[in-house]
Amino acid sequence: MVRKSSMLVAVALLVVMAFSAVAGASNDTLVIASGAEAVGLDPRLETDVPSFERINLINQALVQFATNMELEPALATEWTVSDDTMTLWFKLREGVKWHDGVPFTAEDVKYTYEWVLNPDNGALNMGLYADIEEIEVVNDHEVIFRLKNPNAFLMNNIARMPITPKHDGDRADFRQSPIGTGPYKFVSWTRDDRMILVANEEYWGGKPIIPNIVFRAIPENSTRLLAFEAGEVDIYQGGMVAQEIGRLEADPKYVVQRTPGTGYNYLGFNTKVGALSDVRVRQAVSHLINREGIVKNVLNGIGTPGIGPVSMSLPWFNENVVRYEYSIEKAQELLREAGYGPGEINLRLFTNENPDRMRIAEILQYECQRAGINVEVIIEEWGAYLARVQETDDFDIFILGWSGQLDPDRAMIRQFHTNGSNNYGKYSNERVDYLLDLGRTVPQESQESIDIYREAQEIVVREVPYGFINYTEEVGLHHPYIGNWEVHPYGAAAWQNAHLITKNK
Amino acid sequence: MFRYIIRRLIQMIPLLIGVSILVFLLGHLAPGDPVRMLLGEEATAEDVARLNAVYGFDKPLPVQYFRWFSRAIRGDMGQSIRQSIPVSKLIFERLGATIELAVVSVFIAIMLGIPLGLFASTRRGTFWDYITMVVSLIGVSMPGFWLGLVLLSYVALNVSWMPMFGRDASIIGGLVTLFTKFRGDELVSALRYILLPSVALGTSMMAIIARLTRSSMLEVLSKDYIRTAQAKGLKKSVVVIKHALRNALMPVITMVGIQFGAMLGGAVVTETVFAWPGVGRLVINAITQRDFPLVQGGVLMMALIFTVVNLLVDVAYAFVNPRIRYE
Repeated sequence: MVRKSSMLVAVALLVVMAFSAVAGASNDTLVIASGAEAVGLDPRLETDVPSFERINLINQALVQFATNMELEPALATEWTVSDDTMTLWFKLREGVKWHDGVPFTAEDVKYTYEWVLNPDNGALNMGLYADIEEIEVVNDHEVIFRLKNPNAFLMNNIARMPITPKHDGDRADFRQSPIGTGPYKFVSWTRDDRMILVANEEYWGGKPIIPNIVFRAIPENSTRLLAFEAGEVDIYQGGMVAQEIGRLEADPKYVVQRTPGTGYNYLGFNTKVGALSDVRVRQAVSHLINREGIVKNVLNGIGTPGIGPVSMSLPWFNENVVRYEYSIEKAQELLREAGYGPGEINLRLFTNENPDRMRIAEILQYECQRAGINVEVIIEEWGAYLARVQETDDFDIFILGWSGQLDPDRAMIRQFHTNGSNNYGKYSNERVDYLLDLGRTVPQESQESIDIYREAQEIVVREVPYGFINYTEEVGLHHPYIGNWEVHPYGAAAWQNAHLITKNK
Repeated sequence: MFRYIIRRLIQMIPLLIGVSILVFLLGHLAPGDPVRMLLGEEATAEDVARLNAVYGFDKPLPVQYFRWFSRAIRGDMGQSIRQSIPVSKLIFERLGATIELAVVSVFIAIMLGIPLGLFASTRRGTFWDYITMVVSLIGVSMPGFWLGLVLLSYVALNVSWMPMFGRDASIIGGLVTLFTKFRGDELVSALRYILLPSVALGTSMMAIIARLTRSSMLEVLSKDYIRTAQAKGLKKSVVVIKHALRNALMPVITMVGIQFGAMLGGAVVTETVFAWPGVGRLVINAITQRDFPLVQGGVLMMALIFTVVNLLVDVAYAFVNPRIRYE
């Protein structure tokens, strides 16, 4: 009797399960997948893309990057940069309210930046704003930034610092439940699972079309794609399963959007030690990077062969630089010129446990061997690897990438200036130093700025402190029932205009 | 028995202190530091120095350890460096999911593994024995990662009610609503979400249990007292279940205990594939980020769970085998 009834219960359960299908969310909810959980939601403290994917819906900066990477108004409606790039003036949008109804004013701007610039607060990105000397509140809707040093590109950093409310920003759990001025309001967050946002009906940019947004953190790329195909996820950007892109693009059930990204991958050379201190040896190795092959076979076509440090979509990009086409003969010739015979150069190439980088390392090892250079590949855990590259010069070559290179200053000064904070290979060239310093003092929209950085690129590419491998590419994936969304070159900004997205399932 | 348990609990204290020192040293001696991991590729020397001072990493190691220890002993495990949330909060909000997954996986493994082993052992040398053992060998050899993805792409993608990832309600919560509000939907949803991850996690354990049960049973079945029991004319099922199985289960219990303890420490791979919000992912991320307070707290929690489960296993011996007495 007992057995019979428990059987009945089991059957009933199964029937219920069978009929309550896991339907995707309704048109009222947009489900966005993300490759990692946010670390936190305080724009002053976070530095990672997954955090900013979410933050940029809740909090907003004075200006923001449009999908063509030009600055567009956000909390500021107008701005000017003085000719000496030392003074920035902003006119703030009127009538904007924080999610709790308090009006947004210039005091909030001043508060945010002073908080970031206070060393005791431990803001990781403090260095990006170190040139700011003081912030002057002219009136509720006007603010002036005065700088210590010229910095024509500070605007781009300002676009990456959403403003936080003065009246609420010091709340102990602000980082876990922020309020902002953006199109969506924070509701709840179960870490490693989901974050729920609801439309800000009074958003200055118009009432959001989809009332709810749910962010789901799915760390495994294959699972994320399967969840998308099963209809449990509506849309996501980044973290694609590269091998599947071809199939997804051919399938009318899905929409794949691609755009050049803002980063690049490179070989970093130790320019001070051993054979690589000779520019000809570095040029030879650069000739041994099979860029087309790597993009096609390792990256499955996501990305484009690397040329220099500045992204192709930026106006400063210089296409007239030396190109190192893949050629064993050219490499051997350069090695002979430098006085090295086959087998006379031994190099140690380091990388971390990133599968793409490990394959690139193996390919390079093979190509180098064909040209008579012995390369030992050493793979290290990320923390140990980073410590080696940043703290020691105990390496010949390393593989790393830069992301978010939104202007030529960011793409070059830390990397190639003699005193650059991230010049791990100790590259040094007086003319480059001069140009990179000069570039900061010239307004970024001017022709002079373009000329300065084009020359700097020419020298850097010729002297090869880096062997450029590839430019990155951003890929977005959504169902056809999603409309009015464009993949963003800068992944962190992917959802900043989510209030315009439509869903008609 | 009671005194034995108390003694074992007291013995755990020096063990846990030892673990905390070991974890602390290993963390700090490994190359890479938390501030660099926070800053990533863009770290500058000034930023590193400034933040090391903010977090107190510029102090000598013994000072750092005793600072941590003196707080930990009062139950304050500190804050995650990366997320500035109390470590205990981060762990406890995920512990439920981890325990649930481990319990369901072990349940599935035991419910299928022991009958399979029993089935094979009583048909030794036959076709059915070989088939069972080949299947369990495959089960042992399949990597959990791969099995998880196979289950997702071939089962979940084709069965409409099977979710692909994540967790919904908890089973306990589901049972509560079932009995208080007479609504089963929450329980059903919880079971739906846990089914695939627990199968992926439990499969290899099931296979191990099946193989262990079989070999242990074969050994017991050749004992004299089994022959005596058979000679008395008892039914075969009574001999196998009552006389043999109970004795044969001892090594199985040991194994289940160890594996269960390990699962409670988090099943990182399964948690990653199914986006299951458990402790394993938390601690692994903490290790790669060198988030020391979180690593300390997480590993200590795992050590504690592991030793408690071990104690429970030892106690369970006494119940299964009346010859074992603890004084």
